[in-house]
Amino acid sequence: MLNLEIIIFGALALITVVAAVMMIIARNAVHSALFLVVVMSSLAVFFLGLWAPFIAMVQVALYAGAIMVLFLFVIMLLGAERAGARLLLAWQAPLAIGLTVLVVLLGALLLLNTAPFEVVDLPAAEITEGTAEAIGQALYSVWLFPFEAVSILLLVAMIGAVVMTRQETRQEARDERKKKSL
Amino acid sequence: MAAKAAAAPVAELTGPLAGLKEKFGEAVKPGDFEGVVINHDRLVEVATYIRDELGYDYLTSVTGVDYLAQNEMEVVYHVLNTRAGGAPLVFKARTPRENAVVPSLITVWPGADFQEREAWDLLGIKFEGHPYLKRILMWEGFSGHPLRKDWKEAYYEQDVKPFDSRWPGGHHRRAEDRVPYADNVNFPADFDPTVYTAQADAAVYERFKNYEVDERGQFVPKEAVKDENGNGKFQEYLETDELVVNLGPQHPSTHGVFRMVVALDGEKIMHLEPVMGYLHRNHEKIGERNTYIQNMPFTDRLDYLSSMSNNFGYALAVEKLMKVTPPERAEYIRVIMAELTRICNHVWAIGFLLNDLGAFFTPALYAIEERELILDLFEAVSGSRMMCNYFRFGGVARDLPVGWLETCRELVFNRLPKKVDELDYFLSENEIIRARCEGSGVLTGDDAVKYSTAGPVLRASGVAYDVRRAEPYSIYERFEFDVAVRNHGDVYDRYLIRLDEVRQSLRILQQALNQIPEKGEIQAGKKQYSARVPAGQAYGRVEGPKGELGFYVVSDGTANPYRYHIRAPSFINLTALGPMSVGQKIADAVIILGSIDIVLGETDR
Amino acid sequence: MDVGISILVWLVLSIVLVFMLLTGFAYTTLLERRVIARFQSRVGPNRAGPQGLLQPLADGVKLIFKEEIIPASADKVTFILAPLLAVIPAIVVFAVIPFGSSIELFGVKVPLTLAPNMNVGILYVLAITSVSVYGIVLAGWASNSKYSMLGGLRSSAQMISYELAMGLSLVALVVVAGTLDLNAIVEQQKQVWYFFLQPFGAIIFMITALAEVNRAPFDMPEAEQELTSGYNTEYSGMKFALFYMAEYIKMIVISALSVTFFFGGYREPLPLFLTQALPFLSVDHTPLLGPLYFGLKIIALLIVQVWVRATLPRFRYDRLMKFGWLVLLPISLAWVMITALVVLLRG
Repeated sequence: MLNLEIIIFGALALITVVAAVMMIIARNAVHSALFLVVVMSSLAVFFLGLWAPFIAMVQVALYAGAIMVLFLFVIMLLGAERAGARLLLAWQAPLAIGLTVLVVLLGALLLLNTAPFEVVDLPAAEITEGTAEAIGQALYSVWLFPFEAVSILLLVAMIGAVVMTRQETRQEARDERKKKSL
Repeated sequence: MAAKAAAAPVAELTGPLAGLKEKFGEAVKPGDFEGVVINHDRLVEVATYIRDELGYDYLTSVTGVDYLAQNEMEVVYHVLNTRAGGAPLVFKARTPRENAVVPSLITVWPGADFQEREAWDLLGIKFEGHPYLKRILMWEGFSGHPLRKDWKEAYYEQDVKPFDSRWPGGHHRRAEDRVPYADNVNFPADFDPTVYTAQADAAVYERFKNYEVDERGQFVPKEAVKDENGNGKFQEYLETDELVVNLGPQHPSTHGVFRMVVALDGEKIMHLEPVMGYLHRNHEKIGERNTYIQNMPFTDRLDYLSSMSNNFGYALAVEKLMKVTPPERAEYIRVIMAELTRICNHVWAIGFLLNDLGAFFTPALYAIEERELILDLFEAVSGSRMMCNYFRFGGVARDLPVGWLETCRELVFNRLPKKVDELDYFLSENEIIRARCEGSGVLTGDDAVKYSTAGPVLRASGVAYDVRRAEPYSIYERFEFDVAVRNHGDVYDRYLIRLDEVRQSLRILQQALNQIPEKGEIQAGKKQYSARVPAGQAYGRVEGPKGELGFYVVSDGTANPYRYHIRAPSFINLTALGPMSVGQKIADAVIILGSIDIVLGETDR
Repeated sequence: MDVGISILVWLVLSIVLVFMLLTGFAYTTLLERRVIARFQSRVGPNRAGPQGLLQPLADGVKLIFKEEIIPASADKVTFILAPLLAVIPAIVVFAVIPFGSSIELFGVKVPLTLAPNMNVGILYVLAITSVSVYGIVLAGWASNSKYSMLGGLRSSAQMISYELAMGLSLVALVVVAGTLDLNAIVEQQKQVWYFFLQPFGAIIFMITALAEVNRAPFDMPEAEQELTSGYNTEYSGMKFALFYMAEYIKMIVISALSVTFFFGGYREPLPLFLTQALPFLSVDHTPLLGPLYFGLKIIALLIVQVWVRATLPRFRYDRLMKFGWLVLLPISLAWVMITALVVLLRG
């Protein structure tokens, strides 16, 4: 069974990394967004493999479902999906590649320096951290304050966004009036 | 050719026209018809006077006549007084054939927009001051102006029918068999048909680029609204988030091959430009080739949903020239047919308006069920369900078959009133219908008159103008009925007013069915194969289901009409489509079009 | 039970399920056409086979042999991918829907659910439905046509808006049921359907579900009268058929979900005294009846959807959004709070 797991993990990891790279190098914004969806979905499968079905489903519903659809919506609405053939900043690509290599190397170093891995095969019934009940319990007891704080933060952001778009329409109305009076 | 009408000239200007002579002196001359000829230098001035002082606020018809023999073009205007009613006031402007120019009256009556474009398109009369004098029915690749008397089509044979070549030795032969396909088209010298499509679109979009739409949906040249950098406001829209969508000509809800070029900001309509002419067959030119009686079945093809009503209008115009009156029974039959046609048309319009609203055919099919029963009646009298060809000059083609009146009474007294109430009950209070129709596509009463809209569109805007009341024709003055009026001018009122009108039509029908003489002549004089029509000119108009349907016929005493023009309500009502749609959502454009209720056979002619 | 047999059972079950869904899709089209015809005082298709029963077959054959047209300026890969992305989520949702308790076959206990007792069942449903918008959005974008584009934009906005209210209506249900497992939810409805405990939740769920699958009166993305056919304007042949398939399978799915959540799932739709008098009618006694009851309930809800389509005109797009945000969302929020309060007070 371990072998099967490793095979699945390897395949998924490959898909994730390739999709992530493609997302960055795709010239078409919609294609980028689609590759990001693939990344999100394969992350969800990783979570499933880690016996965390709740996080997996939330990952799909929120990231792959809601947020990426909004991304696509905005991309399509602005009609900005086809970037020009030319790179705008010529030094960007080499810098990005260099930095990526650096980060990967650093990560590898860190991993190698920590304690050696030990594969523990837990029976499914004993894993309870990933279930909906466990997460609910944790969120509403230990992490209640951060949870509420984050939700208030999001609310504030949302109201801010609404207020900012509102101002624009007020500006428009003023323009209209000015036009009429002329 | 004695083209000019030989009627007795009007020596003195009387009635409302008396003041014109005093005020404008030599610029206004009495014509050889019931109206005046206005010198085109002062046309706008006189027209403004006619509108403001004489009260003729509604321009019903603008058309031209080409008098080849006199080397003269005539532009004929019919204007109406929507408050006082009565006959239309006729005035004309004359201009030489070569380089025919008259001033545009679009500033006086904005409803002249499409009709002047049509006159330019078909007759080559330039209207000075028209902001967008482009071809409207023909395409850019058309050579010449077909209604000019010296315009000849490829493989031209003769001026008028019947063509001698069609029966060599007494045998019928079709000209199409001799004419090779695709070789019968002339193009202007600088025109390349292979690149046409792009040009046609460009021609429409040009209007977006060069004109700005003001808050009332009217075009003003962009120079007027340029800012200090020389940029028009509309250009700015186009650069940011304007999306130009072609609704049609292949589109499920344009009711035929009709195109609306819509400039969208999100889902909001910034501008709408109707494009028509896809079904154009130059009805009027063919009509001028036909003999008088040959045109009767041809009128069926105008508004093919209400052929009886088209027959009626044409018959009235020619009867005015022939000075015949149909016998009593024929008059009743005519009224019954016309009102049945109205019911037919209105239930159809309501059904398909609901379809445009997105109801999946259910209301439409229930409406069609009633229409079928009426079509059965038409079939029984005329032998055809839609192309009835039933009216004749001075009567109708045949008498009613036995038992027809009983079937009709059963329908009119028992079935239809219930069915109309049923439609009303199920549709009028539906939440979604009200939410979508109320307040969308509003046309104020002033604008409705200004844009020369007619029929339900006009009356839904609070203008109680109905030809049956304003200038009763046939025997309409005998019947008791109300002119249906609604006051909001939105899509919902245009829907409701059709229900009202169906109810009023049922009232008229019930009276007519009670009063119709049991026996009697149905045709004045004896049946003729070719009507003898004295020289003259006449404008016959009926209140068709879609609005005022007018036929302007000029006769030179021969067997064929010299000029045969149709004031098509479906066509002229579209003038208001743009102004009504600006600022609405794209889904509203569809129901606004549906509420105008056009038939492309009549729009494009 | 060893792994081999369980994998075999799972395979057979999923093949049967997919087959049933595809047949169900085909006959849902026929059902819709026949039922809608009756609403409109017509007969409907009745020529192909007895009572038109072979009509779906004829349609399928026709669509297979149609020419596949890909517009020259379309984004080819996405254009081909989009119909698949529309169909797959629709079918995949069925994995967690229980269509029976469990039956004994050749001495093997077979649960009539592909993934039984999944404790994130409802979340799974929400996740998959939220992904199902991609097919439409991408079809709209890839076609490179204005109508399709508007259809795609509309659908993405519409689905995001209605997903919220849908999720909240299910939250209220979860508060009462105390589980995310669909099998458990069905079994809890042995006595009383959740429709009676959660009337608002059920109605909101069904309205939003209609909006999620773009059925009338919420068929904005393909609004025929405005956008000709919306997102699938440029599609033809089998690719078009796949969109059609997705739409009708989604109809079946939302019916199945409504039944599972609110109408007792595969439990017998019979009053208690009847099952007491005739115990063999109960699912507990004869588990094979489960799928039958389930199917009948689905058909009933399908007919309701057809009924709605035959009756109502379409919303206008902006009003639809307003309805979603200003009416459905507040009501569902309030309903969640009321439900929570009641559950809290009753302990």
